[in-house]
Amino acid sequence: MPRRQLANENGIGCGAACQRERLPTRETVRAAVGFPRHWRLTRLPITLRRMSRDTRADEGLKRTDEPREAVRAGATVALVAYLIGLVLAIATNSLSGPSALFGTVKSRIFSPLLAPAWLDLGYDHRFSYGLDEDADHEIELVPHESEGEPLHLPGPIAGERAARWRRLARTIAVGGLDGDGSTVAAGVGRGGFAGLGTADVDLRVFRLPQPDRTAAADADAAVQVYAARVRRVADDVQLIREAPRGEVAPLVRPQPRAAAEDAP
Amino acid sequence: MSGAGSDSVRPTTVGETWMRFWFTPAPLRPLAVARILTGVLGLLLAWSYADDLLAWFGPDGMIPRDVAAAWRPRWGTSLYDAAVTSASVTALFVATLLAFSCLVVGFCSRLAAVAAAVLWASLLHRGPMLAGPADDCLAVLLWCLAAGPCGGDLSLDRLLAARGGRVPPATSPWAGIPVGLLRVHASAITVAALLAQLKGDAWWNGTAAWWLASRAEAIDLRGAYQGSEYLMNLVTHAIVAFEILFAAGIWFMPTRRTVARIALVAWPVIGLLAGEPLWGLAMAIFTVPLADLT
Repeated sequence: MPRRQLANENGIGCGAACQRERLPTRETVRAAVGFPRHWRLTRLPITLRRMSRDTRADEGLKRTDEPREAVRAGATVALVAYLIGLVLAIATNSLSGPSALFGTVKSRIFSPLLAPAWLDLGYDHRFSYGLDEDADHEIELVPHESEGEPLHLPGPIAGERAARWRRLARTIAVGGLDGDGSTVAAGVGRGGFAGLGTADVDLRVFRLPQPDRTAAADADAAVQVYAARVRRVADDVQLIREAPRGEVAPLVRPQPRAAAEDAP
Repeated sequence: MSGAGSDSVRPTTVGETWMRFWFTPAPLRPLAVARILTGVLGLLLAWSYADDLLAWFGPDGMIPRDVAAAWRPRWGTSLYDAAVTSASVTALFVATLLAFSCLVVGFCSRLAAVAAAVLWASLLHRGPMLAGPADDCLAVLLWCLAAGPCGGDLSLDRLLAARGGRVPPATSPWAGIPVGLLRVHASAITVAALLAQLKGDAWWNGTAAWWLASRAEAIDLRGAYQGSEYLMNLVTHAIVAFEILFAAGIWFMPTRRTVARIALVAWPVIGLLAGEPLWGLAMAIFTVPLADLT
């Protein structure tokens, strides 16, 4: 018995409407299949067919437009798989790392499918917590030990183009999960060689002031959060990072001998 | 509107609900509007790469291929990795612009959506540190459109088919999948953003609006916030409240249309307040098929 006839056996929309469309009625289907009269087939996946026919009648669709059962089954499998991947992509997007279970399942099954399509995303669009790293960042490139004109990025431009430069600057300053942004800084410095006409540049990243509401009028100047010298040596690009002040060991001055002896 | 939410017949089982949500024939007009807006958004976002394309991705660009490869996800890949000359990088970029243009006018729409999705993902993988929230949303929008007959209305495809004597139907049984995907993603992105925001104190103590206004691309309302702390708190809490309302409201029939129509205005406003106007536009595009505008 074709499924369409079973679908009509569900009893919804049958009767006069079925007879108009010359579709089998409940009674004819029961007779053909041999189902007892008390059987109900309401759990068959037929609602779609029923609704499709109603909509088809309303909208003038042809029967051939209806997707076949096998196609819908394939689409269902793909959708379920994708939705699981979507949930895992969000669930594993944690700064402290995903759980071992979720991380393993996602990386082995879903990431190979989602990542190339730029769909392996956590969508953690928090915008700002008011932290230093949430402030705008800018890049300055200047020829090393010379009075050349510095190159400011993004400079006076605005909009999404400027936002991309700021993201690049922030990447250098803040780094990523796997380390600092020095590899990016080396690339940016190298890219500045042509613009500055030299193969030895100083790269600095500044964090723009983000004053508190109560101290907005006393905004500080931009803070330098990253500095490095990038130069070409032979065919290689060399980055010499200027250590942040906080990471340099404190200078301990030796006390005069007499003072040391007098000390309790 | 039918598809991904027709309520003419109440389903009784999970299976029926599933089939009804994804496979009910739906009108093509809302999907076509989403396609056009997505194409425009794609052109805007792609254009932000145009002036610096070779400065970033050229042979001596600031983001060498090996650096990009180190920063992208493990399985990420990019067509731009094979582009070793300025001409080839430019050619790929022009192809991306063409794909977005085809989406806008609806020419070979399905193919254009797939091509745009692949090329856009390639561009983002070439410089993952440049990508922002709007870029993420655009990638999702493109794949959603590629999953259904996005060129069935308001398109050159329809015009050409009509001239050939084949008037395409106004609805399609396959339109429910992209519309459903748009709804799922609209909710999922909102929930994820909301969860991320609520991890920070600024979104609880009502100062987030201030920090948003401090961003270069945002509307600077700091003067107003300095005048009234309550206003600052109100804006912060209103953003959170709207996100909660939106994430839940689009799943209930009585509220869906109203919430979606509010969202068409609210998302762009939030985008402007947050300094991410194109992200706001992208989120609004997600809601277009839910708003029953046609």
